[in-house]
Amino acid sequence: MSQSQTLKSETQRDSVSRSGRLDLEAIVEIIPTGARVLDLGCGDGTLLGQLVQRKQVVARGVELSEMNVRACIARGLSVRQGNIEEGLADYLDTAFEYVILSQTLAFLDKPEPVVQEMLRVGKHAVISFENTSYWKERWRAARGGGAGYELCSGEPRMRAITLRQFNEFCDCCHARIERAMFLNNERHIHILPTLRAHIAVYVLTK
Amino acid sequence: MIVQTQTVTFDTELRLQSGATLGPITVAYETYGTLNEDHSNAILICHAWSGDAHVAGRHSPDDPKSGWWDEAVGPGKAFDTDKYFVVCSNVIGGCSGSTGPASINPQTGNPYGLSFPIVTIADMVEVQRWLMDYLGLAQWLTVVGGSMGGMQALQWAVSYPERMRSTMVLAATASLSPQSIALSEVARQAIYADPNWNHGDYYDKTPPNAGLAVARMIGHITFLSDESMRAKFGRRLTNEKYGYSFDTEFEVEGYLRYRGNAFTKRFDANAFLYLSKSMDYFDLSYGQPSLASAFKHITDTHFLVVSYTSDWLYPSRQSKELVRALLQNGINVTYVEIESNYGHDAFLLEVERLAELTHDFLSRFTTPAHPSNGRAAQTKLPTDLAMNI
Repeated sequence: MSQSQTLKSETQRDSVSRSGRLDLEAIVEIIPTGARVLDLGCGDGTLLGQLVQRKQVVARGVELSEMNVRACIARGLSVRQGNIEEGLADYLDTAFEYVILSQTLAFLDKPEPVVQEMLRVGKHAVISFENTSYWKERWRAARGGGAGYELCSGEPRMRAITLRQFNEFCDCCHARIERAMFLNNERHIHILPTLRAHIAVYVLTK
Repeated sequence: MIVQTQTVTFDTELRLQSGATLGPITVAYETYGTLNEDHSNAILICHAWSGDAHVAGRHSPDDPKSGWWDEAVGPGKAFDTDKYFVVCSNVIGGCSGSTGPASINPQTGNPYGLSFPIVTIADMVEVQRWLMDYLGLAQWLTVVGGSMGGMQALQWAVSYPERMRSTMVLAATASLSPQSIALSEVARQAIYADPNWNHGDYYDKTPPNAGLAVARMIGHITFLSDESMRAKFGRRLTNEKYGYSFDTEFEVEGYLRYRGNAFTKRFDANAFLYLSKSMDYFDLSYGQPSLASAFKHITDTHFLVVSYTSDWLYPSRQSKELVRALLQNGINVTYVEIESNYGHDAFLLEVERLAELTHDFLSRFTTPAHPSNGRAAQTKLPTDLAMNI
């Protein structure tokens, strides 16, 4: 495991805690009961654990950090330690109904092949990310904060993703948007999501 | 914990993987803890190259030495004998109570020596299955092993998946690498080169201890890592200054010589040769179109695969290959790579993390309300068998 990968995984976790897992409820709502689910970068298994308990899903996960994998095992989850790119290659076509990438897209070196693979091994891809066109992010950038994380924090480069960019990205992945949810403090945003949504949750299919 | 090694002799002949036959077969084994009413708490521990049936406890109150994995097996330990019924048996081909090359060949009245047939990991597992039937057990809760023990655990899952709910494969591989075969061969050559070996015919003479000691030294180097050797010995000398001689001067030399010599007091050189061969032959993809197809009959067995970052004998790369082949079959696999500097020995030494992993992994079978004890845990993911070839 390279150091940058470790850092990336830790940053993913930070990101999740920073936004208080805003997307968790939305994702639990999206996934139908009994579905086969793969969570990429599943962290300590919080989301998968909820999905098993509340939706009785067949859960699998991929996670980079040993500590998090052990936390998943403690929840009774079957998780494979490894990076997301490795984690996808071994699954057969449509082995899952849903493949989840929760608040991790911004940290991927090459997002497009990952999303393509998600749509190969799963019928649906659920992708959530922090919306960089959210007004607070814009305000922070405008005041010199820049998009993504502070330089001083030592965290690796994070991609800034706006809703418009993501829509374009779906086009280049030849993915169809089945559903899009925009969240702010667990409230669903319907008007002006570009400015008002903190977190976006998309469901894609081929 | 006071335990006794027990033995059972099967008067039937075993048809070995090689086509040869072996029998009668004696198996030395130990058990710990109590079998519960529904027989759902039995665990088989498979030992590694130099191990034996005596996995934990002592043979008498004043026994100075406890079993080889005493840190992990016992009341309140990783394999909690208050909860589980633990079984460990000596492999055939070894020299610690089960039939091996030092045993008397009933047809000649003399030790087998090199007339003992080559046995494989699958043959060892077959005999363990006989023991399982003899003990009246229908299904193991888990079959666990590290190193050569991990190979047996894997072989169990391939040969008898319906007779085990899970397996824990530590620091092992689905096929021995050429590097490991090379090291085995060097170790064997050390024994062959000892004139006392006499083509395996030495049981009424001086045994080939010098050769066996060198063979074991090679083993010990492979069990450690660069980091653990630096931490354990550095370049420290046994005396203050260089002696400019061929005496044992560096601590690491002293350690290897001590370990090598100590080994000759408890191990038979021919058994060492036979066990090394059984590992060289171990390759679950042998005779199969791919490794993945070796696992195609496994449906409900859960796998926990553990590798250790500094293990260069059976590196994580091999565990990842194994995990890949299992995933290609939609098998329920958990894989964790434990950060450790202890090299291959880590599976014996990283006991705390192992205890936690074991507890957490086995809870899914023992806790009725556990989230993954229902449908989620049982369901194998769909597979397209054509893709497994």
